[in-house]
Amino acid sequence: MKAVSMYTLSTCPWCRKAKTFFTKHNVPFTFIDYDLADEATQSRISDEVDAAGATGFPYVKIDDEVITGYQPARYAQALGIQGA
Amino acid sequence: MSAVSDKFVRAIRTDEIAPGGMKAVDLEGKESVVCNCDGTYYAFERRCEHMNAPLDLGTLDGNYLTCPMHCAQFDVTTGEALSGPVPPDLGHDTLPPVVGAYMQNVGMLMSHVRTESVRTYRTKLEGGWVEVAPLG
Amino acid sequence: MNAESRKKALQHFFEKVVGPLGFKFTPDVELKEFLLDQEVILEAKHGTPFCPCQPLRHDRARDMKMVCPCIPFHRAHFDAIKRCWCGLFVHQDVVDPDTLPQLDQKDVGRE
Repeated sequence: MKAVSMYTLSTCPWCRKAKTFFTKHNVPFTFIDYDLADEATQSRISDEVDAAGATGFPYVKIDDEVITGYQPARYAQALGIQGA
Repeated sequence: MSAVSDKFVRAIRTDEIAPGGMKAVDLEGKESVVCNCDGTYYAFERRCEHMNAPLDLGTLDGNYLTCPMHCAQFDVTTGEALSGPVPPDLGHDTLPPVVGAYMQNVGMLMSHVRTESVRTYRTKLEGGWVEVAPLG
Repeated sequence: MNAESRKKALQHFFEKVVGPLGFKFTPDVELKEFLLDQEVILEAKHGTPFCPCQPLRHDRARDMKMVCPCIPFHRAHFDAIKRCWCGLFVHQDVVDPDTLPQLDQKDVGRE
């Protein structure tokens, strides 16, 4: 099973949809709500997100693949989920 | 609570304020503002309930008034405070220690300041004048 | 301060900015109301209505590019996907916003 983790914002509806997608497909994931994190964590995430050239959140990592934005089709493809 | 006054006083001539405009007027010793929102006139106290700035020096967009000092916003039809002050850009230069300490203290005190709604007054038009009934 | 009053005021100001840029509020009313609710919360916390879907960097120069409506700072990207990042605004000809995926600029045109 691929490792799924994400950086999200508690204020973002697309981040909630991303979490719902993985929950609905019984895919375990970890997440950090950036806006609720401490300064050091925010700085680390900020550097990582900048390096990837991402505009905003949700920022989803499926193993080494980074998918920015709510993109259920790509999540499904990365995880080999049919008919998602 | 102040009693509501039925006494209207002449504040300003209607043709002295263009639509979208505001003017400070003295209503029997009360500093006030009259504004023209597309032909409907509203009146309210002159001083911003954040830090006392003269609201007539701000901007009016529709019925939304923005204070010139820290950009708090109000609805002139109700006086309701819609938003508080906007944080200023103080730049990145290092301040002299005494100034830095002063700014830090002021910042702490300002964090306790609340932006309240402004008091509004009833208006009516009479013979080319905007008349206002300030609270008694 | 009343959130509904503030939302109404924000809509008044935002419409004037996004209209000439070729955008309008999303026809998805539920999404619009939710995003504006978040912006009111962000404004109360930070003093400015930031985008609910972009991370604040605590660097004023960068963060000011995320003040709603942030379309002018992301014009090419948002014109390409016909929506802004959080989806509060869409191109004026958009009828069904559900057809507009949230694509990052580097993903535009990717199958």
